[in-house]
Amino acid sequence: MATVVVARPAARPTPRARDEEVLVWPDLVFVEFISAMLFTVLLFLLSYLMNAPLLDEANANVTNDPAKAPWYLLNLQELLLHMNAALAGIVVPTVWLIVLIVFPYFDRSTEGQGRWFADVNSVKNTVVSLNVGLWGTLALIIWNSGKAALWAKDWFGFSGGSTLAFLERSAALKDPSVVPWPGWADSIPYLWFNLKILDEGPGAGVTTFQKIDLPTLLVDIGIPTGFMVGFSCLLIFFFWKINWVHTRRDALITLMSGFVGVFLMLTVIGTAFRGPGQDLIWPWDLRTLEGIPGQE
Amino acid sequence: MAVEQPTQPTLGDLIYDKLFHNYVWRSIFRTGYPNTPRNQMLVVATNVFLHLHPTRIHRTHVKITHTYCLGGLTFFMFLGLTVTGILLMFYYVPSVDRAYLDIQNIQTNVQFGQLMRNMHRWMAHAMVILVFLHMLRVFYTGAYKPPREFNWVVGVVLLVLTFLLSFTGYLLPWDQLAFWAITVGTNIAGSAPVLGPKTRFWLLGGFEVGPDALIRFYTLHVIGLPLLAAIFMAVHFWRIRRDGGLARPL
Repeated sequence: MATVVVARPAARPTPRARDEEVLVWPDLVFVEFISAMLFTVLLFLLSYLMNAPLLDEANANVTNDPAKAPWYLLNLQELLLHMNAALAGIVVPTVWLIVLIVFPYFDRSTEGQGRWFADVNSVKNTVVSLNVGLWGTLALIIWNSGKAALWAKDWFGFSGGSTLAFLERSAALKDPSVVPWPGWADSIPYLWFNLKILDEGPGAGVTTFQKIDLPTLLVDIGIPTGFMVGFSCLLIFFFWKINWVHTRRDALITLMSGFVGVFLMLTVIGTAFRGPGQDLIWPWDLRTLEGIPGQE
Repeated sequence: MAVEQPTQPTLGDLIYDKLFHNYVWRSIFRTGYPNTPRNQMLVVATNVFLHLHPTRIHRTHVKITHTYCLGGLTFFMFLGLTVTGILLMFYYVPSVDRAYLDIQNIQTNVQFGQLMRNMHRWMAHAMVILVFLHMLRVFYTGAYKPPREFNWVVGVVLLVLTFLLSFTGYLLPWDQLAFWAITVGTNIAGSAPVLGPKTRFWLLGGFEVGPDALIRFYTLHVIGLPLLAAIFMAVHFWRIRRDGGLARPL
């Protein structure tokens, strides 16, 4: 049987409507030129008004407190405070980048491209998802900082006592006095030999039994993963129920907008609200941050 | 019947003629100001810098609110960072003994040094913000959809490269801010299961931030990553044209 090789039917735009076209010179080139000039002037002005920060010379013996990564990584640093380091620092960003890359292969329809918020419910969808991301993240951060319980105590005299300590922070769930963990729960062996792949440097050594600490696994990996994956699915499911999400595109809008909300809130909290010892503080109590005039 | 007579050229006409119609000028710019549609298309098609563009473009795409020039401005930041970066390289030596002193020197002893350093820093921040906003623009206008799937992927790679470019530059002033930021940042990379500690070791050239880390970050910052970014940008821009220009409703 003959096999017919067919070239991929690319989704080409409809034939050009010449009447709808304008010349790149001058209509586009001038817009580009003006925006480039505008940015040049603005950046000159900014550079004139605000000096790039320069603290004391690097010294490995004097720890900066708070020691912060560059601001665009502070979202990850904020995540690190709430969950397992590998999950926050590696798994979450890697998975998110893969999800981003997969976007166009998941949503293959050619509908609604080239227009802002072309789909019916996309504006509502975006605004609500963004806000859920923003304020949901804030609520979780405040809960896990123990601040909410402190405020409840200060303002209303309410104290949950040790049995309700998990209301103050998720880490309390590890405590046997809060959750009656059986004795073996924190040392379930899973490897009877030392895994020596690339095992070198400080901290590397002989381990004879590799064990799972179930309470830690639950608090540092289970609960955060549950929140991140569960909340995203729940939000999309809810929007599907109320008919805001019909297509894959709609689901991606929910996911992306929620992500932007989470990303912004984590970055803002990490940048402006974390002080010495990574405690939550008000921005005006925070010192030695970059970009403040006169602080060189 | 009155016949319109040619007027005598004014002084302005003569100066204009001498300036722009002389032999040397003509050897550089073969035509005068392109004031006919034909010449305007020719200048876009034949100019080495402008031929990145098509000669004609859909009416909706020149509206500023369609793209906000975000992609173009990101590229413009890259160019500006290259210029200011080269100027800073004249004075900066990536050794632990000199790096911090060189930055102080740039700020105090070099003519316009402080301005160049400020420009480089704020442009770097601007580029990170602009590239992120550009991604949001492409997403919310549905411009990643077929046939532009692969260009979206190239864009995600460029987003990561932008972060890496900024991150590697962060260490170079060799002050406390830089040192601890990179310590924290590479600790994040080091937390990966199995491969983490090795990745951190490769990044830093050792177990902690030191002279080897400085030279690695410098080399990546000034040649490795910009070269890689330039290649991906070339593909990115080329694909915009190949995929039929900017996305528009079908």
